[in-house]
Amino acid sequence: MGRYLLRRLNLFLATSLALVTVLFITTSYFPVSKPFALSGIATPTTEQLAQIEADYQLNGNQLQQFIAYAQTRLSGDLGLSVTSQRPVLEELTQALPASFELAIVSGIIAVLFGVPLGVLASLSKNKITQHSIMAITLTGYSIPVFWLGLTLSLWFGVELGWLPVSGRINLLYEIEPVSGFMLIDTLLSDSAYRISAFKDAVFHIILPAITLAVLPFTVVVRITRAAMLNIMELPFIKAAEARGLHTGTIVLRHALPNALIPVLKNMGLMLGTFASYAMIVEVIFSRQGVGSWLVAGIYQRDYTVIQGGVLGVALIIIFFSILIEVLHNAYNPLSRKEIYAAN
Amino acid sequence: MPLLDIRNLTIELDTPHGRVKALERVSLMINPGELHGLVGESGSGRTLLARAILGVPGHNWTITADRMMWDGQNLMDMSPKQRRNLMGSEIAVIFQDPMGSLDPAITVGSQLIEAMPQDKTISFWKRNSARKAIAQKWLHKVGIKNTEEVMSSYAWELSAGECQKVMIAMAIANQPRLLIADEPTDSMELSTQAQIFRLLSKLNQLHSVSILLISHELETLSGWCDQLTVLYCGQVMESGPTAEVLEQPYHPYTKALLDNMPDFSSGLAHKSVMQTLPGSSPALQHLPIGCRLGPRCPQAQKRCVSKPSLCHQKDRYFACHFPYNSEPCNDDPTT
Amino acid sequence: MPRIRIYQEDHIPSPMQKVWQAFADNPFALMGLWAVCCLLTLAIFGPWIAPFSPEQQDPSALLLPPSWDASGTVEHFLGTDDLGRDIFSRLLHGAHLTFGMALAIVLASLLVGFVIGSISGMMKGLKSSILSHLLDALLSIPSLLLAILVVAVMGPGLDNVFWAVGIALTPQFVRAIHQAVHEELQKDYVTAARLDGANSIQVFWYVIMPNVWETVIIQTTLAISAAILDIAALGFLNLGAQAPSPEWGAMVSQGLDSLLTAPWTVTIPGVAILCSVLAINLVGDGLRSALSPIRN
Repeated sequence: MGRYLLRRLNLFLATSLALVTVLFITTSYFPVSKPFALSGIATPTTEQLAQIEADYQLNGNQLQQFIAYAQTRLSGDLGLSVTSQRPVLEELTQALPASFELAIVSGIIAVLFGVPLGVLASLSKNKITQHSIMAITLTGYSIPVFWLGLTLSLWFGVELGWLPVSGRINLLYEIEPVSGFMLIDTLLSDSAYRISAFKDAVFHIILPAITLAVLPFTVVVRITRAAMLNIMELPFIKAAEARGLHTGTIVLRHALPNALIPVLKNMGLMLGTFASYAMIVEVIFSRQGVGSWLVAGIYQRDYTVIQGGVLGVALIIIFFSILIEVLHNAYNPLSRKEIYAAN
Repeated sequence: MPLLDIRNLTIELDTPHGRVKALERVSLMINPGELHGLVGESGSGRTLLARAILGVPGHNWTITADRMMWDGQNLMDMSPKQRRNLMGSEIAVIFQDPMGSLDPAITVGSQLIEAMPQDKTISFWKRNSARKAIAQKWLHKVGIKNTEEVMSSYAWELSAGECQKVMIAMAIANQPRLLIADEPTDSMELSTQAQIFRLLSKLNQLHSVSILLISHELETLSGWCDQLTVLYCGQVMESGPTAEVLEQPYHPYTKALLDNMPDFSSGLAHKSVMQTLPGSSPALQHLPIGCRLGPRCPQAQKRCVSKPSLCHQKDRYFACHFPYNSEPCNDDPTT
Repeated sequence: MPRIRIYQEDHIPSPMQKVWQAFADNPFALMGLWAVCCLLTLAIFGPWIAPFSPEQQDPSALLLPPSWDASGTVEHFLGTDDLGRDIFSRLLHGAHLTFGMALAIVLASLLVGFVIGSISGMMKGLKSSILSHLLDALLSIPSLLLAILVVAVMGPGLDNVFWAVGIALTPQFVRAIHQAVHEELQKDYVTAARLDGANSIQVFWYVIMPNVWETVIIQTTLAISAAILDIAALGFLNLGAQAPSPEWGAMVSQGLDSLLTAPWTVTIPGVAILCSVLAINLVGDGLRSALSPIRN
């Protein structure tokens, strides 16, 4: 197991390096002067220019430049944002919790509803139920997320007026950011309105979270169903049946834990698409977050924000996909067997 | 009174080639405390028969029978729920793939504990440790020494023999009256096979569990069983006490099976031809009419296109128009 | 003279026939196939069928609702947008852009991914693991991030979408083909072919390829639907096709201004995207279930 973890760590480092390399090469192709693209300072004074050249080894050869670039970026210096002239790292860390909040809520929605529905679809003998569940999931899988977001906000936000369609909370509430998660911060704040503020934050997250949850939900339903159908045919289920166990016990205790293993694996594979969708959802519902921050950055040609945002988000996603793989292997006794055999 | 009495059980399968009689008019009788062997080639419907007794049919099956009695109760009249309860308490089964029959995601011990009957008399805070102790007792009984270790390991960490022993422990933990062993020693080494068989026969003698032992090897079955039933292509060929059947087979198929066993005691001639029946057993969609052995049978004649019914002589049963060493049966309705 | 059949002979269908039979037995998949065929025709001949040019503005018919609405006209079948452009014609022209572009991107990345994937799949050891693991990680980078990088370098535009989506899709093909080839390579029949004296190229082409192409087909259908969604999403974010373009995603974003007064300017292109992606997914789903008994 230790060797395996070491190898995964190695993979993470190698990929990060590859990512930095890609960003380094891309940066040199940005249609602006190199010092500007690297630091974000539009009109540097002579001292600043000298400082930048020293920091990024701009007079050295490509290799020296790359090493200097990797050093500054990985030490956390992502430059200044072109538009706001604040450090990019600071903006990134401010935007991240909001995105995590949205992702976590919709992930929970997807799993909470997806797994039972998938099990139901696999157990149902009724053709109509099966077909309609499959039809719904296939539609959910094919729906363009930006259009879904617009349609939902048009219905529930504008025509019915039930739910707010933009922002994370009503601007009237003043919430001190502590953890950056609005749902937690509202509860932590000591203002008199914290319950109503919490309710408001919940209302604000419902539409975006549902929009974002559609894709993982459909994937979870489909994978759970396929895995359950496979597993229910395996000998150990037949053996459990023959031992006289109840169908409920068999499904919950023997089939479902085995079926969740491929679900976990596919969640890791889905992470990239999920992140893309999350960014689009943030833009549509004008929530603060990494997605809307990055998209605003590209509109304003804010080259440091683009570099920093891409680096940060990609590293986080690579980290999580490797983490999910490790979890998958730790949870799955069968793949432990393979690791065990490989060493 | 027999423990299990099945008369003229027919199982039809709906296949893409139409409806096929996978088992045709099979009769089987198991007395209490008997070790009954069921021998047949793969595809002869042994497992179908086992599953029909257990009541876990496939989705495309149609089961009909004149009689299916379990200890005086009619199995055909029972609801699936009653069948399930019966299965948990009185009939147990072990399958041919012991490793696949254990849940890979849960430890062996917790599966064994789950299979044991709930004892309501023990107060619930002691129940866990008590159940663990009982589970260890059962594992001891099936000949596993390092019980702690086995109980905390996963199925794939054990050998096939150990897995099968655990399966047997699970099966007997409910103290069933009938144990169906469907090829329990498939793909195991000879020494492990002997261990499993010895264990089964010990259970049979000590706990008077009736056992239905299903296998394709006549020579292994002949060493352990009291009664023997020979199945070919879903039809019963012959049935009777093992010693008598081996001594004097009435049916051509049984004789062919016995001839297949090379006799190593009297040195075999170099390059001598091994005895086998011509051809191979037919596929499900190409079953011959009448006696299904017909096309391959050395004794076959015109009459064999009608199915011979099972005839009874003393404690022997056989279905053949032209049996060896015996006058043909008179109660044959087709003659 | 008709042949007399004495024996009951079974006609054993070829694998292709079996797949087709299983596919045709699924009415949804067949429906999807027809829809995809229609889309293909529209993508090729759309500009000739369209009654108006995509940029022709009709000042007398601004924000005209679709024809089934009381105030709509049949002339502008799906209504017009805020500049008086006929939505139906724009959709037809857009099919060419969105769907045709998606096909082109998928073909290109399939080609690249196939070459890299089969080379890395046939190789062993460190080289293979570097290729596959690095691409594994690249796969997890969202396509939108790659698109943002590409746009930062080359500026927005439909041509750059080609690169952005293509780069995002290629690792998927590499990964799928690498894994399929690698798995086949472990099997005994490959060893048997090797023992017969086949060299690596023969093993790859005659032994492994016939068992891998199913994976390729399934991956392709998945990729086409992903490509359409990505192109449309980039168009919507104004990072892909630019304003007057009738690309479907861009049409949704252009309709945003009049979303409240004329929701059809957003709804209709959205439904077009949904339907085409759904059709492709239906075909892909049908193919997958038709191929699965063969693959197992």
